[in-house]
Amino acid sequence: MIDFARVQKELQECSKEIDTSGIRVSPKSDNLARLTGIIPGPLGTPYEGGSFEIDITLPDGYPFEPPKMKFVTKVWHPNISSQSGAICLDILKDQWSPALTLKTALLSVQALLSAPEPDDPQDAVVAQQYLREYQTFVGTARYWTESFAKASSLGVEEKVQRLVEMGFADSLVRSTLEAVGGDENLALEKLLSS
Amino acid sequence: MDSDSINTTPSPSANNCKDFSRKKRRSAKLKQCKLDARREQWLSQSAVKNKGCCKEGTNGGDLKQRAQGQTDCLLENLEISRRGEANRGRETGLVKHESDSESLPSNSPMNSILLEGTGSGTSFTNSSSSSSSTSSGGCCSGSITEEEGDDGCLDDWEAVADALAADDDKREMERNNNNRENPFLGSTPEHEQNPQLGLKGEGSDLRNAKLECPRMVQRVTGSSRAWRADDAFRPQSLPNLSKQRSFPNTDRHFGQRGVPWMRSSPFTVPSSCPICYEDLDFTDSSFFPCLCGFRLCLFCHKRILEEDGRCPGCRKQYEQDPVEAEASIQEGSLTFRLARSSSMFARS
Repeated sequence: MIDFARVQKELQECSKEIDTSGIRVSPKSDNLARLTGIIPGPLGTPYEGGSFEIDITLPDGYPFEPPKMKFVTKVWHPNISSQSGAICLDILKDQWSPALTLKTALLSVQALLSAPEPDDPQDAVVAQQYLREYQTFVGTARYWTESFAKASSLGVEEKVQRLVEMGFADSLVRSTLEAVGGDENLALEKLLSS
Repeated sequence: MDSDSINTTPSPSANNCKDFSRKKRRSAKLKQCKLDARREQWLSQSAVKNKGCCKEGTNGGDLKQRAQGQTDCLLENLEISRRGEANRGRETGLVKHESDSESLPSNSPMNSILLEGTGSGTSFTNSSSSSSSTSSGGCCSGSITEEEGDDGCLDDWEAVADALAADDDKREMERNNNNRENPFLGSTPEHEQNPQLGLKGEGSDLRNAKLECPRMVQRVTGSSRAWRADDAFRPQSLPNLSKQRSFPNTDRHFGQRGVPWMRSSPFTVPSSCPICYEDLDFTDSSFFPCLCGFRLCLFCHKRILEEDGRCPGCRKQYEQDPVEAEASIQEGSLTFRLARSSSMFARS
């Protein structure tokens, strides 16, 4: 049983502090169990200037169980899967505390972007690159930020609009785009095949 | 005054039975009435004696007033008003009877009986009503004191009151610093009584009360002052007011006593549970589950104990798992066992 009263209050608190934290949380559906978080890339990192979307699913035990979070926006980071967006962060697993909130958890994710832990990797390839060819890692990460995180806010809407004009339902287009990581062609293929 | 006549009624009535046999029925009726009144008087007297004011019942209002001084202003006012009502509604002969019994306490039983004997039948009913009214007046005073006496844990209550005195001192100091007044300026009770009586009513109510019975209001402030200085007079203060004031402070005090470190950081008390965001009630706000100082409501605490049992603030295990296991098995040791781990249960 999710404590929706708490979630509601968390959302209110979060919306008050958007200007200072830059972190946005908005519900995807009416039941508040699925939300979307958006964190800005930390300054002084390859992720600077990017806006990263995170899919949040609240388990039944929230806030006594951690929220499930994964990146929707593709990120090149040792602790984030470049394929699935899965996040390797202790507070989202065994170190979760009910005293934490969605906002503090997203802040932790933002801090993770600026302080990678290559010794405890989620994506081994990225971690190897981070340890062995740091400059290459920085270049790749910046390229991914430019490609996926910067245009996303504008790009997604344009992609959605184009796909909707092809005759697909708006919600279906959005979910398909999310499923394929924002790639318009992949989404179109998936939409046509389904 | 009337109490005396009531106390010694039986023997003179017996004499009257010998002297005036035809008055026998009347005196029997009087005896019954006065016995009832006397029983009530005894009840109220015993209540007063329990409180430590033994002298009230032995003699009339004069000695009472002298013995208890300011504390009995209320009672005296009651009696005066009662007497006034009685005088207004009574015949002149009866007024004389009253004054007789007042001025001559030792002879009053005889006098009253004689007066009643020579008087008409209505004087009998009136005198009995007067005695009953007095006894009801006694009941009135008794009920005030009994409310204190019924408190069961009077000693604990007083101990709490003593401990609270320090708290009150502190608050009064702050208040007076704000008002730029001398903290212990006893001659300005009207200025200080408003915050003290704030729980009971607003200023307008107080002003009305002052207009109606200024001595009473003064007595309240005096007792609120005196209950620190002299405990014997303290229970005479308005009981509800004192109790209302003491309740939240009591909770806080016990909480602080249970966990001494809270005294050093009294401003970390959250107003709502950080887990469920619900407001903390008194029970919750005196609940200190973890030494790290992280506080939460009892519901969330229970929920956490059902799962991993770690404090949300420091992620350490709560220290009461074995205690809880034992408590669930042994009903009798429940309160004691839990009292060790959480100060909340120390009160219950």
